[in-house]
Amino acid sequence: MNKELEHSFVTQLEENQNIVHKICRLYTNDKDSHNDLFQEVTIQLWKAYPKFRGDSKFSTWMYRVALNTAITLYRKSKRRVQTQDFEGVSFKIKAEAYDDTVEQQLKLMYDAVKDLNDINKALVFLYLEDKSYREISETLGITEVNARVKMNRIKEKLRTILNP
Amino acid sequence: MDVLDTLKKDWQKQDAKLPKLSYKEIYSMLLQKSSSIVKWIFIISVCELLFWVAIAFLVPDSSTKFHKNMGLESTFWIVTVVNYIIFAVFMFLFYKNYRSITVTSTVKQLMKSILKTRKTVRYFVYYNIGATALLLIATNIYLYFNQEKLVQFLSQTSNNYGAVSPDEAITIFFIAQFIVGVIAIGLMILIYYLVYGLLLKRLKRNYRELKKIEV
Repeated sequence: MNKELEHSFVTQLEENQNIVHKICRLYTNDKDSHNDLFQEVTIQLWKAYPKFRGDSKFSTWMYRVALNTAITLYRKSKRRVQTQDFEGVSFKIKAEAYDDTVEQQLKLMYDAVKDLNDINKALVFLYLEDKSYREISETLGITEVNARVKMNRIKEKLRTILNP
Repeated sequence: MDVLDTLKKDWQKQDAKLPKLSYKEIYSMLLQKSSSIVKWIFIISVCELLFWVAIAFLVPDSSTKFHKNMGLESTFWIVTVVNYIIFAVFMFLFYKNYRSITVTSTVKQLMKSILKTRKTVRYFVYYNIGATALLLIATNIYLYFNQEKLVQFLSQTSNNYGAVSPDEAITIFFIAQFIVGVIAIGLMILIYYLVYGLLLKRLKRNYRELKKIEV
């Protein structure tokens, strides 16, 4: 294999590894699964790298490959906890929602985001990463309008969790 | 400030808390093998294709002899040729669809191409189960109307044949064919549902979720 290619790939991934770690954090629940998923993302990125032309930024290209791996390609290990529908979790959290300090609120939000299904999680992730709706829609393969509508619904849900 | 903006800000501050892998650690990952669902689907699909090709090849001698004696030789020859042409078409479609799976496509497109590849193999299995059942039924109908030939063949080849009357032998023959046929086809369907049910459950669920957004 081409050494130069390997070097440029590893260097770029090293610089941008936070993106993958953040996705791993969202989609796994323990260190082992986190590392497993990170490794699988790395392999998939490396396999696709020869076709990476550089017409988009390396990081932009990474989002797509990493999310595809987390959502579709990665084989869920037994350690991974099942996600559930958003509607189901709001009740669970309500009871603890009295403490309205910022940390407590953030914790509740993070828990709620982690409990979203795989697709909604990807939407929220890209939103939190400050991606435009155009980029979100292009990554997921849905229309911009639909991405916006869905995101607004999720935002609404998240707000009701904090202000029941 | 809106609570979501607070979340967004906090989210972007988390970098310091994230693990940091070294160049060497990342490099060593390049040498590892993928265990992605696509790889498993490919392996299982190829096994399935090979299984049916092998079945078509491994027709026992006794069976060929039987068909010859029953005057079915040319019919089976035509069936085999048609079967191989259909096999080739399926192989081509499978290869074409498999090649279209790329990790750089959109989330939706990736799921779509994986499901499409699986569909090719699924139809291949349906075809085989259907063709096997049809052939079994057609052969048995033919044998039913040509019982003299069958009795003659059974008396020549089976040592135990003399122990039962020709009528009983015919009945036993057809019941045995039926039971074996039903068990074999039932077993295939069961294995099929177990393997793919498990493998594609999550993918299908996520694909449904994604489609729901578009309604």
